Amino acid sequence: MKNVLMLAAVAGLVGVGLHSSAQTSVPKSCFVYVGPVGDIGWTFAHNEARLLTEKAIPGLETKFVESVPEAQAMPTIDKLVGDGCKVVFTTSFGFMDQTLEAAKKYPDVIFAHTSGYKRAPNMATYMADFYQIYYLNGMMAAALSKTGKLGYVGAFPIPELKRHISAFALGARAVNPKATVNVKWINAWFDPVKAREAAESLISEGAEALAFTEDTATVVQTAAKKNIPVFSHYNSMYKFGPDVVVSGQLVHWEKIYIDFMKKVVAGGYNTKSLQNVDYWWLLREKAVELGAQNGMPINPKFMARLKAVSITVAGKKTNVYDRVMALNADMSSAKPTFDPYTGPIMDRNGILRVPAGKVASIGDLNSMGWVAPGVLGEIADEPAK
Amino acid sequence: MDEILNALTRAASFGTPLLLASLGAIVCERSGVVNLGIEGMMALGALAGFAVAYSGSSLWFAVLAAALAGVAAALLHALVTMTFRANQFIAGLALTMLGLGVAGLLGKPYEGFPLSDTALEWPFTLGAGLLAIALYGVFFYTRAGLLLRSVGENPAAADVLGMNVALVRVLATAFGGALAGIAGAFLSLAYRPSWTDGMTVGLGWVAVALVIFTGWHPLKAVLGSLFFGVLYYLQFRLQGSVAVPTEVLAALPYILVIVVLAVIGARGQQGNAPESLGRPYRRGER
Repeated sequence: MKNVLMLAAVAGLVGVGLHSSAQTSVPKSCFVYVGPVGDIGWTFAHNEARLLTEKAIPGLETKFVESVPEAQAMPTIDKLVGDGCKVVFTTSFGFMDQTLEAAKKYPDVIFAHTSGYKRAPNMATYMADFYQIYYLNGMMAAALSKTGKLGYVGAFPIPELKRHISAFALGARAVNPKATVNVKWINAWFDPVKAREAAESLISEGAEALAFTEDTATVVQTAAKKNIPVFSHYNSMYKFGPDVVVSGQLVHWEKIYIDFMKKVVAGGYNTKSLQNVDYWWLLREKAVELGAQNGMPINPKFMARLKAVSITVAGKKTNVYDRVMALNADMSSAKPTFDPYTGPIMDRNGILRVPAGKVASIGDLNSMGWVAPGVLGEIADEPAK
Repeated sequence: MDEILNALTRAASFGTPLLLASLGAIVCERSGVVNLGIEGMMALGALAGFAVAYSGSSLWFAVLAAALAGVAAALLHALVTMTFRANQFIAGLALTMLGLGVAGLLGKPYEGFPLSDTALEWPFTLGAGLLAIALYGVFFYTRAGLLLRSVGENPAAADVLGMNVALVRVLATAFGGALAGIAGAFLSLAYRPSWTDGMTVGLGWVAVALVIFTGWHPLKAVLGSLFFGVLYYLQFRLQGSVAVPTEVLAALPYILVIVVLAVIGARGQQGNAPESLGRPYRRGER
């Protein structure tokens, strides 16, 4: 009898043990955001993805801290780890070094950093990149302008933006070989006033279509006031200018977060296995999407104008609309044949950057210092050789 | 010519919220009350204006709501500094933080939506310009203006003459709040018609600086706002045309303000500050 009781007690304990381990098998996941979740840009998109990931992974508990200054990542991470976070996503390039430091300080915590290139056994990197879509947007922008003068509002001259601006310029020049992309920097991810004045400056210098990489809808709103074509960035900004938004890029970070968390739960991703885990997800993985609104790659209002511009591709005559849709379909397929960064590509100073027949590697794209021909304006840290 | 016209257009647009907020602050400070809470009152005004316009009410109501939000915050400042005699500078800093925080919290449901009916910019700009002229007239050519200034210069003397010092100061503070609120409404209804946490991006502090920069003078505030607006625009217009790093261009407006302040200081022209600015008044104390 005593033995039976003992057995029952042991079974009970094991049961409890199993139960609690089942509960903790989905580690608490926490997000460090650089901007406010309402920025209608980068941080908003990460937050939407966080909510979708919570739904997709049963039992997942998440937490976030918004508007964390880039110098304040470490104290924020300390706090989150103290609160029991076992997976920490840091969602800004500027958090890179502090995330690496934190990964060393907390070897039992899994870290994942957006858009950077430094990794550790317990720190992965991930990125949903838009360069393919910027190329398509560049084609449409050039087709919609008479002079080929385009404008671009940029946050900071980092590789990510140089890659986007160059892809935009390469796309524009595929339609109009004389197209130029005038760039103005606002040196901020979130500053609607600067974004407005930079856009105004571009328009006064003759830009006939605008694109941007910063975290507000301001450029779209400014273009709407002046009635010039614009390409939205990051989230659905169609509603901020239904008459002027041509297309743009949308992100689906949840594709990456859900995949990552599934692998963490299954045990494949742990604090020892992340040294070479680098997500570089594009159209093919559906982590990004062409359009200013889900399911609408090109605003129907611009369809006729884009169809009216003909271009020749490999000896065959087609129009910009059909070409953009064809390229989008190709790059979204399981085996894309086209890549905007296929050589030969010179930089704007005439130096060969991608040899003929080669495609720029992820490493090349992630450390891009140069910009493509047609890009105008000051570009910081442009390599001379 | 086009370039100059364009720069002035941008300066007028960007300068409008600066002018509105600094005119309000000039009235407030002329009565002897410093309110550093402009940034916070602006954020509250921006949110109140957007929320009312978003609910479908007319833009007039939206602007009125923004003004009232500013007044409410300003009256809080008056209560804390005059009734409870808290330090005006610290209370103003607290008001900025409180205003930004409250607006951010209450504004969550409004983030990410456009306005179906947006306001035009020029009525704000014109209104601000006319108000500057009107304030100049009131300050220097009416008894009410004299009363306001005497309360700011020498409240004891004003009290002796039978003026209600506290009432004048409360009204002037409220007026400052109303204009800061309307400056916020300009941002959220016209300049960039939407609400986002932090959308005032420090313009309230620029307005605080402009008050000192322009010597508490309403007409000089017009020039000061335009001057700052032109410089702000040039930081983008000059990018790519001059071989100066963008960070330096971005700092240019602030550097020039410091230079001008230094020149004014060196020439001994900084005696315009109201004599008892920032000092609470209570009868029988000195």
